[in-house]
Amino acid sequence: MMPLTLAGLGEERYIKQIGGRTETRQFLESMGFVTGTMVKVLSEMSGNVIVQVKDTRVAISKEMALKIMV
Amino acid sequence: MSIQIALAGNPNCGKTTLFNALTGSAQFVGNWPGVTVEKKEGRLKGRKDVVIMDLPGIYSLSPYTLEEVVARNYLVQERPDVILNIVDGTNLERNLYLTTQLTELGIPVVVAVNMMDVVRRRGDKIHTEQLSKILGCEVCEISALKGTGVMEAAQKAVDIAQSGEKTIPMHTFSGSVEHALAHIEERLLHSVPEEQQRWYAIKIFERDTKVREQLKLSEADLQHVEADIAACEKELDDNAESIITGERYDWIASIIRGCCQKKNRGVLSTSDKIDKIVTNRILALPIFVVVMALVYAIAMGGWSVSIGTRATDWANDVLFGEWVPGWFDAILSALHVAEGSWLYGLIQDGIVAGVGAVLGFVPQMLVLFFLLCILEDVGYMARIAFIMDRIFRRFGLSGKSFIPMLVATGCGVPGIMASRTIEQDRDRKMTIMTTGFIPCGAKMPIIGLFAGALFGNSAWVATSAYFIGVAAVIISGVMLKKFKVFAGEPAPFVMELPAYHIPSGSNVLRGTWERGWSFIKRAGTVILLSSIVLWFLQGYGIVDGSLQAVADNNDSLLAVIGNAVAWIFYPLGWVGDMAWKATVATFTGLIAKEEVVNFFGIAYHYAGDVDLMEDSSPIWALVAADFTALSAYSFMIFNLLCAPCFAAMGAIKREMNNPKWTLAAIGYMCGFAYAAALMVYQIGGLITGTVAFSIWTVVALALFALLVFLVVRPYRESGQLRDIPVRV
Repeated sequence: MMPLTLAGLGEERYIKQIGGRTETRQFLESMGFVTGTMVKVLSEMSGNVIVQVKDTRVAISKEMALKIMV
Repeated sequence: MSIQIALAGNPNCGKTTLFNALTGSAQFVGNWPGVTVEKKEGRLKGRKDVVIMDLPGIYSLSPYTLEEVVARNYLVQERPDVILNIVDGTNLERNLYLTTQLTELGIPVVVAVNMMDVVRRRGDKIHTEQLSKILGCEVCEISALKGTGVMEAAQKAVDIAQSGEKTIPMHTFSGSVEHALAHIEERLLHSVPEEQQRWYAIKIFERDTKVREQLKLSEADLQHVEADIAACEKELDDNAESIITGERYDWIASIIRGCCQKKNRGVLSTSDKIDKIVTNRILALPIFVVVMALVYAIAMGGWSVSIGTRATDWANDVLFGEWVPGWFDAILSALHVAEGSWLYGLIQDGIVAGVGAVLGFVPQMLVLFFLLCILEDVGYMARIAFIMDRIFRRFGLSGKSFIPMLVATGCGVPGIMASRTIEQDRDRKMTIMTTGFIPCGAKMPIIGLFAGALFGNSAWVATSAYFIGVAAVIISGVMLKKFKVFAGEPAPFVMELPAYHIPSGSNVLRGTWERGWSFIKRAGTVILLSSIVLWFLQGYGIVDGSLQAVADNNDSLLAVIGNAVAWIFYPLGWVGDMAWKATVATFTGLIAKEEVVNFFGIAYHYAGDVDLMEDSSPIWALVAADFTALSAYSFMIFNLLCAPCFAAMGAIKREMNNPKWTLAAIGYMCGFAYAAALMVYQIGGLITGTVAFSIWTVVALALFALLVFLVVRPYRESGQLRDIPVRV
C-alpha cells in the first residue's frame, strides 16, 4: 500500500483506503474516490496530481493525494 | 398553483445550459466547476405556472461545500414539487451517486441523461428504459447544448408533479444496515411524513450532525440507535458513512453493467492528449507563462496589438473626454443651464468627470474578460488553478487565488468578484484581503507622476510598484495564515477538470457581458454618489462665515478636512506645504486612484490642455519642488497599498457579505500601507541621512522587527484543524 503521490504515471491502481477528516473523506467519496475504485495518475506536478477516476479527471493537491492509499 | 421544478446535478454537467434552454434566459455557463453558487429562478418557456430552480452543482447531499449546503437546504426544507436530475451520460457512474440520494428524498425525480450526442458519437450505448426500471423513476435522453429533448423532459417532470406520484428508491442496503434503518424510522421518525423517513433515517445512520440537530433528537433516542449503528459497523468492519457510500457505488456499478455498453475502453480522449502536454511537469509553466503574457499583451499592454489599452484610451480621451461632455453641454445649454451655475458644475465636473473616469476602463475590462472567458470556456482555467496551486500554497493561498490576482492587474473590482469561485471561506477571505494590493490600471498614472517628477522617469519605479504589490500579497499571506482566524493550511485542493471543448461564441460573449455589466452597474451607484459628494466638498467652502462656492480650492471643505487630518501622515514624511495636498489627494483617490493625479493638477492650479492622466509632465516641476524622493516614494507606496477605491470597497463588502470582515479587510490594507510607507520613509531617511532620528524612527524599526518576526515565526498548526491520521 502506498499513497497516490507515489503511484507511477499511467499506472492503473485500486484505492485501498482513504484517510483524513470525515468531511474530506466524504467529499472525496462523493467525487468517486471509494475503496476498490480504479484510479490512474495522468499528471504530476510537485506532488499535486491529476487522476482519472470513474471517467473523470480530478486534480488533487499533495496533502489530499497522500491520504488516498493505493 | 405553480409547479416548482428543481434542477439538480453534479457540477459542470450542463444544468445552467439546460436552465437557459428551458427558460430562455441568458445565464453565463462556466466551464469551471462551481459557477453557480446561488440558486437561480426562472419560468418555463410558454408555461407561466412552472418555476424552474437552477441549483448549484453538487456531488452529494452531504454538506461539504457551500454549494452543497445551499442545494441541500433547498431540497430538504422547501421541497420542490419535482426534481429534474441532470446526469452526464459520459460519466454515469459518478453522476448516479447523487441520483441515488435524490430518489430517497420522497420527492418525484425525473432523470435527464445529458450529452447523449457525445455518448452516441463515441459509439457507447445507454439503455434508458432499463435504467428507468432499475432506478424507479422516469429517465429521458437530452442534449442541453443542442436543445434536443429538453422540453419533453420538462413536460415529463410537470406531468409527474401533477400526478402526485412519489419516487420510491429502488436500491437497498445490506441486511444489517436495513435493519438499523428500520429501527431508526420506527423509533425516531414517526412524526416525519412517511415518504421522507428513509432519507432522514439514512442521514441519522451516517451520523449527519446537521440532520440530528434539525430533528432535535433526545439523548436517549440517539443512544438507542447508536447501538444499532455500532453493531453494523462492527459487522461490516467500516464506519457507518463509508458503508452507505460504498454500497451506493456497488449498486451503481451493478446497474451500469446492465444498462451501458462502452465501446472504446482505455483509449486516450482528446482532452487527455491535450492535458498530457498542458499539465506536463516540464511544459506546464512555460505554456502558462506564454498564455498569460498573451492575455496581458492584448488586454493591458502598451503595444499596437493591445486592443484593450487602445480601446480604453479612446474611451477616456474621445468618448468621455470630448463626446459625452459635449453632449451634456448641448443638453444643458438647451435647458438654459448657465455654464458657471452649480448645476452645470455638478453634472459636468462632478458626475460626468467622476463616473466617466471609471467607465473609461470598461473597454479594457471587456477585452480582458473576453479573453478570460475564452480560457474558461475552453477548460484551461481549471488547469491554471492546478498549475499555480503549489506556488500559491507556500504563502497560504490556493491555486484558485491566481485568477483574481491576474484580473486585479486590470481592475481590482472584477478581481475581487472573481474570488467567488473559491469555495473555502478562509481562502476566499484571504484572497479578497490581498487582491487589492496588486497595482491596478488606475494606479499607473500615480506611478507615472512620481516616476517622472522625482525619479527621472525611470522604468524601475513602475517595476518596483509591481514588486511591492506582489511582495505585499506574499508577506500578507505568510503573516495572515499565522493568525488564529486564518489558521490551518489552505483547503486541500480538489477540483474536477472539465473536458476541453471549443469555446462557444454566445457563451463567451454572455460571460463577458455579465461581468462587465456588474462593473458598470457599480459605476452607476457607488461611484456616482461619491463623485457628487467629493465634487461638493472640493467646490464648496466656508468663506466669511457662510457656505459658498469657492474658486480657490485651498478654501474648500476638502482642504479643511485635509488639514485637519494631515497630522496622521506627518510620520510618513508628508509635511510642510504639501501635507494637506497629499492627504486630500489620497482621499480623492478613494473615488478612483487616477483622481490622485487629477487632484494634484487642481491643487497646483494647472490650467493647460494636456490630460494629466495621460501625461503629467507639466506639473512634474511643481511636484518635485514639494516632495523629496523619499516622501514621494512613501506617498506612492501608501496610495498603492491603502484602501482601494469605493468601487473596490463595494466589491469587498459584497463578497465578504459581513460588515466586520469588510472593515477588517479595509482596515488591514490601510494599516499595512501605513506601516510600509512609514518604514520606507523613516528607515530610508535614516540610512540616507535626510530624516532626523525621532520617536517615529523607533516605531518604524519596531514595526520592521515585528514584520520580520511575523513572517519568519514558525507556523504552529492549530489542533482542531488537524486531520485525523490515516486509518489502518
